[in-house]
Amino acid sequence: MRAQRTQRPRRAAVTGIGVIAPNGQRPDAYWKAVSEGVPVLDRITREGCDHLPLRVAGEVRAFDASALIEDRFLVQTDRFSHFAMAAAALALDDAGLGSGDPAEPFSVGVVTAAGSGGGEFGQRELQKLWGQGSKFVGPYQSIAWFYAASTGQISIRGGFKGPCGVVASDEAGGLDALAHAARAVQRGTGTMIVGAAEAPLAPYSMVCQLGYPELSTVDDPDRAYRPFTADACGFVPAEGGALLVVEDEDRARERGATVRATVAGHAATFTGASRWEESREGLARAIRGALDEAGCAPEEIDVVFADALGVAEADRAEALAIADALGAHGTRVPVTAPKTGIGRAHCAAPVLDTVAAVLAMEHGQVPPTPNVSDICHDLDLVMSRARPAELRTALVLSRGLMGSNAALVVRRAGESAR
Amino acid sequence: MITTEMTFGELAALMKKAAGITVDPQELEQASDSPFDSFGLDSLGLLGIVGELENRHGRSLPPDSERCRTPREFLDLVNSTLTAGA
Repeated sequence: MRAQRTQRPRRAAVTGIGVIAPNGQRPDAYWKAVSEGVPVLDRITREGCDHLPLRVAGEVRAFDASALIEDRFLVQTDRFSHFAMAAAALALDDAGLGSGDPAEPFSVGVVTAAGSGGGEFGQRELQKLWGQGSKFVGPYQSIAWFYAASTGQISIRGGFKGPCGVVASDEAGGLDALAHAARAVQRGTGTMIVGAAEAPLAPYSMVCQLGYPELSTVDDPDRAYRPFTADACGFVPAEGGALLVVEDEDRARERGATVRATVAGHAATFTGASRWEESREGLARAIRGALDEAGCAPEEIDVVFADALGVAEADRAEALAIADALGAHGTRVPVTAPKTGIGRAHCAAPVLDTVAAVLAMEHGQVPPTPNVSDICHDLDLVMSRARPAELRTALVLSRGLMGSNAALVVRRAGESAR
Repeated sequence: MITTEMTFGELAALMKKAAGITVDPQELEQASDSPFDSFGLDSLGLLGIVGELENRHGRSLPPDSERCRTPREFLDLVNSTLTAGA
């Protein structure tokens, strides 16, 4: 039996970040684009998509999977897993854990969130099925399309044998995965690799999204995704994602790693698909739950990364939820939505926002919300340029199209509950 | 219908195409009694190679062909099957 710890509970520290985003394929490039508010939304260029009414998205261009991942992993995986494996490798490098087999493989686990799985791979194999026959379907179809593929392949590739999992809880699952990893660390796992990556910009995957009433089909990239404005016309999808290394803070410091932030609190609720008015209460409760777990007063929140769906009813519900949960502070705290520059990468969207939150705290800047001006809600939304600010605690919000709501509190390294 | 026996070179090419594994044909031949695992090929990878061969030759290989442990065992099975029907 393990000796009882008498010191404070274990804390989950972020020690590594890997990003494959439409606006940058390393954290420094991502932060430069995010902090400068450079939008990269553009007309979709992927083959086979030009006849579809969805015109604008955030594509990850010039991504060279073969430079980062071995062929034997590439042939058996979809683009969403390519992003995830690449981001995981970058995060492990950033954490100083990149080379060779892990010293303690059972102390390293993986958890990812996934919203759509491997649509492009699945489409290719299904076309073989109906075009040539069942004998022409490759065996990797059995694993590549599946939500769990990225977690599995990251763990196999790295030789990680600790607790692994996949969160399938809608877009907000990106935050739920981070919470899951933090809890695994609190329960004793040394290191977790956690995050999400999505690849929803192939013909089959795009057709699946066309049924969402919240999807923006506006074809002007500068006007397609403008949450919190009177011109809000839905959201623009994106591909890519981010993986983080989360580990026990004391253990991280003992091995000399740089602690970039801590995961302080999380809560999630469910209020039903597209019932945006009801998401107000669900999101407010998630915020309160996350603050509770973090031991954080509303006034301590220095910046909010909004879900920013871009649907009038949903934007109103979010603004009201922030006010409900944070009180008067809710109208004073800087709010931002850098995802208006890159689109919403489904489950990966709140993970990219969490990365932006960590980088914002490190740089002392609230990044702006590209393409958005003249908002019609009572929020202090940071718009045209980054705003310098002392940021110790950030709140990240996410809602899913199917009704999940989640909130995550992250703190700057060295900060703790007051 | 097959007229010549399958070679280690063809197997190496199939390992690359179906499973993304790069192996030198001569090394494959020299280590032909080593398990496929040692080349990084798992049973799903070998199953893909079996499917490719079946489609290419328009006939089935025996059940459990993907369970062959070594390159030599697999080539012997493939060649005895395909040449038997020639």
